[in-house]
Amino acid sequence: MGQNVVGVVGGGSWGTAIAQILGDNGHTVRFWMRDAEVCRAINQTRRNSKYLPQAILAPQIIATTELASIGPSCRVIFLVVPSHGLRAVARELGDHLDGAHILIHAVKGIEPGTYKLMSQILREETCCRKIGVLSGPNLAKEVALHHPSATAIASRFAEVIEAGRNLLWCHGFRVYGNDDVVGTEIGGSAKNVMAIAAGMAQGLGFGMNTMALLLTRGLTEIARLGLAKGADAQTFQGLSGIGDLMATCFSPLSRNYQIGWRLAKGEALPDILSGMTQVAEGVRTTRTLHELARTIPIYMPITAGVYRILFEKEAPKDVLESLLDVTRNVYEFESAATIK
Amino acid sequence: MVKDLVAVTEEKIFRLNVEREQIAHEVLERELASKTRTPHELELVLNDVAFSEIARLAESASPKLAEWQSLYRHLGKMNQAAKEAELKRLIAHYVNDVVGNFNPRVYRFATRAVPIGLSLLLRPQLNFRRLLDLSTVRGRICVEGELELLRSLINKGTLILVPTHLSNLDSIVVGWSLYANGLPPFIYGAGKNLFFNPLISFFMHNLGAYRVERNWRFTLYKDVLKTYSQVLLERGYHSLFFPGGTRSRSGEIERKLKLGLLGTGLAAGIRNLQAGLSHPGIFVVPCTINYQLVLEAETLIDDHLKREGQSRYIIEDDESSRFSRIWDYVRKTLALDASLIIRYGAPLDLWGNRVDAAGISHDRMGRPIDTRRYLLVGDEIKASPQRDAEYVIELGEQIVQAFQQNTVVLVTHLVAYAIFSFLRRSYPQADLYTLIRLPQEEPLSSETVWREVDLVRGQLLRKAEEAALTLSEQVRKGTVEEIVNAALHYFSMYHQRPVLRRVASGLQIMDMKLLLYYHNRLTGYGIERLGYQAGLPLARVRLQDD
Repeated sequence: MGQNVVGVVGGGSWGTAIAQILGDNGHTVRFWMRDAEVCRAINQTRRNSKYLPQAILAPQIIATTELASIGPSCRVIFLVVPSHGLRAVARELGDHLDGAHILIHAVKGIEPGTYKLMSQILREETCCRKIGVLSGPNLAKEVALHHPSATAIASRFAEVIEAGRNLLWCHGFRVYGNDDVVGTEIGGSAKNVMAIAAGMAQGLGFGMNTMALLLTRGLTEIARLGLAKGADAQTFQGLSGIGDLMATCFSPLSRNYQIGWRLAKGEALPDILSGMTQVAEGVRTTRTLHELARTIPIYMPITAGVYRILFEKEAPKDVLESLLDVTRNVYEFESAATIK
Repeated sequence: MVKDLVAVTEEKIFRLNVEREQIAHEVLERELASKTRTPHELELVLNDVAFSEIARLAESASPKLAEWQSLYRHLGKMNQAAKEAELKRLIAHYVNDVVGNFNPRVYRFATRAVPIGLSLLLRPQLNFRRLLDLSTVRGRICVEGELELLRSLINKGTLILVPTHLSNLDSIVVGWSLYANGLPPFIYGAGKNLFFNPLISFFMHNLGAYRVERNWRFTLYKDVLKTYSQVLLERGYHSLFFPGGTRSRSGEIERKLKLGLLGTGLAAGIRNLQAGLSHPGIFVVPCTINYQLVLEAETLIDDHLKREGQSRYIIEDDESSRFSRIWDYVRKTLALDASLIIRYGAPLDLWGNRVDAAGISHDRMGRPIDTRRYLLVGDEIKASPQRDAEYVIELGEQIVQAFQQNTVVLVTHLVAYAIFSFLRRSYPQADLYTLIRLPQEEPLSSETVWREVDLVRGQLLRKAEEAALTLSEQVRKGTVEEIVNAALHYFSMYHQRPVLRRVASGLQIMDMKLLLYYHNRLTGYGIERLGYQAGLPLARVRLQDD
């Protein structure tokens, strides 16, 4: 049956880094991507020069553009596509999946309108139950360069964590496990909003005090949302919470950070986005989270601030001023909210 | 694919008293084997029984207490053979206590007697010509939902019926609804306290009910119950579980289920496959029982509000143990049209997937599923405790969702909800307990009540469009005046105090606790958030001057 072949669905930078790790670990990998050009290049040059030129892909990684070939040949499949594309990909993939498949996604985002998490989308579009999420402080370029890194896999099924760990663990890449899928997914998605804010703060010329303020309060509001959705508070102290938040917010490599930086420098959002080759999840996530926070309702001032900058054209400086101004009220609001 | 499903005949349950001994023996053997794998485990099991029985009987003068204490003291000195003998004795005792019986003659008698009894109650003016006319009862108790699917699955596997649980009448009305729709009786476990009344006990005992002693909280007994249930399912006996575990005290729809018995379905399915069947052969049918008025409402909501610890949860003396109250209830409330709606939801497999008439599972996109693949460990079908526990949790989540979708909103729920949530909005600072004790001096104006009912109904209609719940004909189509009048009528029929009464200047709330109780049926749908300002949760904000 060839079930030892591992599937990787999505040929962006992180998908390529995951394929690279799997290949380096000696696994045969079927690596799906939509872009036929990139696919051919990978099979010929062993490199994905468009998205992650640093990675050298082992010969047993076979790139393909046929999604239907993934299900029958791979029992474990990593899904690494942009969040807005996951539903369609999962639906197509789902025609060739059964109850024995293990799906591990590394998609950061929440579905607009429905506020569904990526694992819920997989659950709806396929018959699979063994679903997990991989998330952590993993900048694809650094992983490709074999910098010591770690990640977390969350699943309700111990089997999923074990499978992911056995496949990915190697010298320089540690894999932790937990069973808080909701907390891991929310931490991974919401941190992209904070990364935009971090880029802005640095772009405005602020230093580490401001960054620390932003990260700490940012984590608080992410955790607040997580708890409301049934997550475990401890998850936010882990790799997929504070870990991912730090890596993303401190890294000028991160796409979302770059958006924030350039907004602070006075560029307009459409101009920034039109020049990017890869998806910056943070923009979409800001809108979704802001709406979700208002529906629940949950107090997420930083997210609201980023929302106003992105979609209501407020100047980053003004928003920051107003955020600092409401601090005292924030404190009062929080003590009231903790009563519940 | 499902050609060789478990061969089940409608009359399976009629063989229960024939197979009784075999079943008991099988449960005994399996339990014995699982508990004697290591000497250590054996001692733990015995220790657990003795310890929890001593704790339970500590305050009593029961002669059993000394026996348990003696076992507890001697356990360390007993040799392996003596421990095994003791375990065997205990298991045999518990198995015999549990195992039910089924007497076809009693069944035939009861199925005739129940409708006759009900028609008698429904038409107090004796009319012998109408006496045997089942339609009288049929008009009162509506049965709706996926009956066709249920009928086609009944011979394709073993069914587990999982109803919501509000009243001790539940098993009787469900039993009746099965009979009236040409379906065979189901086996179910019932709390031992229900067997106290000798007459009820006689019927329950001979109609497939098995006894559950809820005071025995140790693992050994719980495992005996589970194994018994599993053996019955494997042998093709359709079973009924109340997954809520006990009657809903608050009147809310169950959201947290007891998964222990539900898990026996999966265990049986795995065994069936291992025995060579091509399909697990177990189907789960959620079902809601929707009463305009609940027989034990007063006691239940009282108990909910008191929350007096564990022991209070086994109510031994409530409305359902008093015949006069049952008589009163049945005569007054069931005499009205559509006073009770039983709704069968879509059948599910052991993973919560929908099942079609042929017994084939489908995912949410409608693709057929080979469910055996869920159970593979390597290339073999095997049980796997952690995985299976998660499967059962997911099935539980699907059942809860089915409960919500199939809950039928009746006028009493709608009107109670509208009024109670209006009061909540009017006293935003009041917690639940303050609200209940609120003196109701001023009646509510009819206009206010109509407006509120209209508001809530509008939201319910939207929810029903999304298939989040089901509305009764009256709730869907009636004018607000008709709805309020109908609810007033019900509310005045049976309860000690009418929940709500019409006075000259409007509507007077007479019983806030019951109003809360009937209101609770509609909580958890997010109706609160749609049209009303979202407030902090109840019972957490104190009045300022409190």
